[in-house]
Amino acid sequence: MLLDYERLGWLRVALVGFTAAVAAFLLLPVVFIVLLSFGSSRWLAFPPPGWTLRWYQQLLGDPTWIDAALTSARIAAMAAMLAVIIGLFAAFSLVRGEFRGRQVLRGLLLTPMVLPVVVFAIAIYAFFLRIGLAGTTVGFVIAHTILALPFAIIPITAALEGFDKSIEDAAIVCGASPFQARLRITLPSIRIGIFSAAIFSFLASWDEVVVAIFMASPTLQTLPVKIWGSLRADLSPVVAAASSLLVGLTFCLMIVTALLRRKLSR
Amino acid sequence: MQGISFRRSSVAGLPAGSGSALPALLLVGLFFIMPVVALLLRSVTDPEPGLQNYATLFGSGTYVRVFLNTFLVASVVTAVTILVAFPVAWMLAIMPPAMGSIVFGIIVLSMWTNLLTRTYAWMVLLQRTGVINRALMGLGIIHEPLPLINNLAGVTIGMVYIMLPFMILPLVGTLRAIDPMTLRAAALCGASPFEAFRRILLPLSLPGVAAGGLMVFVMSLGYFVTPALLGGTSNMMLAEMIAQTVQSLLNWGLGSAAAFVLLVVTMALYAIQLRLVGARRAGGGI
Repeated sequence: MLLDYERLGWLRVALVGFTAAVAAFLLLPVVFIVLLSFGSSRWLAFPPPGWTLRWYQQLLGDPTWIDAALTSARIAAMAAMLAVIIGLFAAFSLVRGEFRGRQVLRGLLLTPMVLPVVVFAIAIYAFFLRIGLAGTTVGFVIAHTILALPFAIIPITAALEGFDKSIEDAAIVCGASPFQARLRITLPSIRIGIFSAAIFSFLASWDEVVVAIFMASPTLQTLPVKIWGSLRADLSPVVAAASSLLVGLTFCLMIVTALLRRKLSR
Repeated sequence: MQGISFRRSSVAGLPAGSGSALPALLLVGLFFIMPVVALLLRSVTDPEPGLQNYATLFGSGTYVRVFLNTFLVASVVTAVTILVAFPVAWMLAIMPPAMGSIVFGIIVLSMWTNLLTRTYAWMVLLQRTGVINRALMGLGIIHEPLPLINNLAGVTIGMVYIMLPFMILPLVGTLRAIDPMTLRAAALCGASPFEAFRRILLPLSLPGVAAGGLMVFVMSLGYFVTPALLGGTSNMMLAEMIAQTVQSLLNWGLGSAAAFVLLVVTMALYAIQLRLVGARRAGGGI
């Protein structure tokens, strides 16, 4: 009876209680950081002695934070775009190609997700130091595109595997060129996969810390690098304000994703 | 549809259908494989040809301690993650969907929240004067603040927090695939709930536990951010040591050798993981 929810008896009470506790544990830091960002205590005392918007004023009044956020957004947008386009082409080959070593190729393209980031970080940093791309936007975008690529390939291949190719073939029989058929029939059909790929690869770059720590220069900092620097210096409440805005962004992204998925899958 | 073939003749002698993977292959080959291989070569050539970097790495008590500590932390994190994740995944697999979707929502929110944000929250929560210590003291459970940060306890809490979704989500799939009838049959045949758990539910879910656990272990081995912020100097992990050796000490040879060790261990475990779940599903909860 262990897999019948209705007939678990006393075990159900215990398990539901435990699940609720774990859910609370997962929610605790997120809620806590948002509350603290409005607290007036410089030392992050909890419960806060009073409420204030001071940390948000400091954050938004500091051009280095704004700069870092804009840099992150710019790099993440470019990396996501490249990863989705390159990943889309790769997905066609991985799903429809008829050649030996297809699985090997797939494994190879997904390796950047498995290899510890720190190994890739020092490798690409050493390489970019030599060819003069360290500390440049181009260098950042290339490195982040590599890390984002698996996050683009996985949802797109999954979507493409679920798409019935005979519909595309039918379009060609009716006179469309193979390119037209793919553009007007296949792409719209796998749009949920492409959309997920865009979100995941954007987040992969936007949240990336390790490569960014090595690659950053005094004039080019992403948001995670800026937060990292502040964390190492002190636990300033300004970081709590920045973090809360990031939590808000995540929340919006989740809602938009859920709504769009519902709309697209109709 | 046999009559129509849209496979265009292979470009430049490439196998059919592989052409569109070329940009990805070029990108990964040029900016991933090549730099990593160059780094590995550096471990046997910098500052001079030979294996002296590896000799230093395995000969010095300091570095051996880093290796041991890395395995210790990864093992503890994996064990705790499995123990916490299993009951949650079990409930999620059989809960009414309305309740389950709330828990799923919380899991996804925590997973999608910026990594540094989550780690920062734990730094504040766990510090000497932090909420957790104050709450415990307020309740009279402890009289002195517990050391919860810059040690194994801090790293474990912070890492388990991050790894839980990666264990829960695949496990839900495994548990949902188990036919409830098998457990009903066990109950009918007189098995106690404990026996049914030990002899049916646990063995049937073991492949999922092993695959998820291995993934968590591999991810923990190479983790950098959380151990660097929540761990102490006395229990440094491998990834942090690599970063420090290269960034602060500028000892590229030694750092590359340590990176190579991490790479070999990770890739070997990843190969086992692929065997367990099949190449198709590798890559986790996307």
